[in-house]
Amino acid sequence: MPDLPKKKVGIVACSGEEMAEGTVTRLAALRVLEQLRPNETVTICLPLFLAGGEGDRAFARFYPTIALDGCDKRCAARGTEMYSGKPAAGIVVTDVIQTNHLGTARRLSDAGKQAVDVVADQVAQQVDELLGVQWDRKQGQPSKEAQPAKESEAKIATCSCGSGIPIQKVQVDGQEVTLIALPLIFAQFRDAGKLPGDGTTAELMQTVKVYNPIPDGQEAAYTQAVMREYAAFYQEKN
Amino acid sequence: MTRKVVIVPCSGIGKSYGTVAREGAYVVTEDLRPDTTQLIPLSLLVLGDEQARADVASAQAITLDGCKLACATKMVVESGGTVAHDLAVLDVYRRHRDLKPAGIAKLNEGGQKLAQALAEEVVTLVDALSPNPSPNPQGAARGRGGPEGGQDA
Repeated sequence: MPDLPKKKVGIVACSGEEMAEGTVTRLAALRVLEQLRPNETVTICLPLFLAGGEGDRAFARFYPTIALDGCDKRCAARGTEMYSGKPAAGIVVTDVIQTNHLGTARRLSDAGKQAVDVVADQVAQQVDELLGVQWDRKQGQPSKEAQPAKESEAKIATCSCGSGIPIQKVQVDGQEVTLIALPLIFAQFRDAGKLPGDGTTAELMQTVKVYNPIPDGQEAAYTQAVMREYAAFYQEKN
Repeated sequence: MTRKVVIVPCSGIGKSYGTVAREGAYVVTEDLRPDTTQLIPLSLLVLGDEQARADVASAQAITLDGCKLACATKMVVESGGTVAHDLAVLDVYRRHRDLKPAGIAKLNEGGQKLAQALAEEVVTLVDALSPNPSPNPQGAARGRGGPEGGQDA
């Protein structure tokens, strides 16, 4: 059965090439992605929000996202909000680290490397908060009562570029709208044996609304469109 | 005053080739042609930063892309700039198959040498674009594998 990756947090780093703080964001993001929370986090390159496709731009609407910025220009936070979705949280390195001796963008000093550790720990903490995970600091792992789903351990960070978030365009009241994750949701419902019809409508729409805000007053039209598309999907796949 | 050639590397965070692009840009702008080149951060172009857009729009750009999505090239065009040359790290790797990059936060030796090879290709293009190429601070052909290459954090 296809899984909707609900339990992941997106990390978007500014990676600013001209300043040490940008490098701190990049390395802190990688530390979280590769070592601290490899099974709970995903990333995407910031420029893909403009250079990529609709699936890439859906990133922050699909994953609760932490924007990691090097300076108060907040390129990652503002860029993510402008082109994808409002980040769930944000960290600005210059707010966290009160030193100007981080080294250069190309070569961090020891203080810069320590800054990476500090920022990465903060990001990991925010990941846990967003996932509702209680972290057992003595054991260095999620506490037993809130153990997240086990997955294979990642060693190397991989970005979501190119793969994007599955989307589907549907006609709602004569207007074309893009619904995020709809193909995955449909596949999940079909595989669970849920037939198109009244018995499935409420649950299906509840899942659709996790990823797609429905404008006020248009719920009925959206429901009609989604159920029409699900019926077509179900018929085609069976 | 002669405009500097702007170097815009991909800021890819999920692939070694992105780090090679970033490192290659540093080799060009800090070591080999600091007087005739200027590095422009891609994140500023994404945000539409006025100064970054003006810098890109008023100069010749060389973009260094880490994957086929070519974010750097697309962003320069989007920002009103002129892409004089677009280099794909993968193409450079095809010309140097012995230099297989690995690692993102910290490039392996192959990745560092590939960044150097990329930088040397860029320098040739920069010199062709610059009416009066500056003296060569460290030499464009000092051999593969400079001392730099990725962070060790």
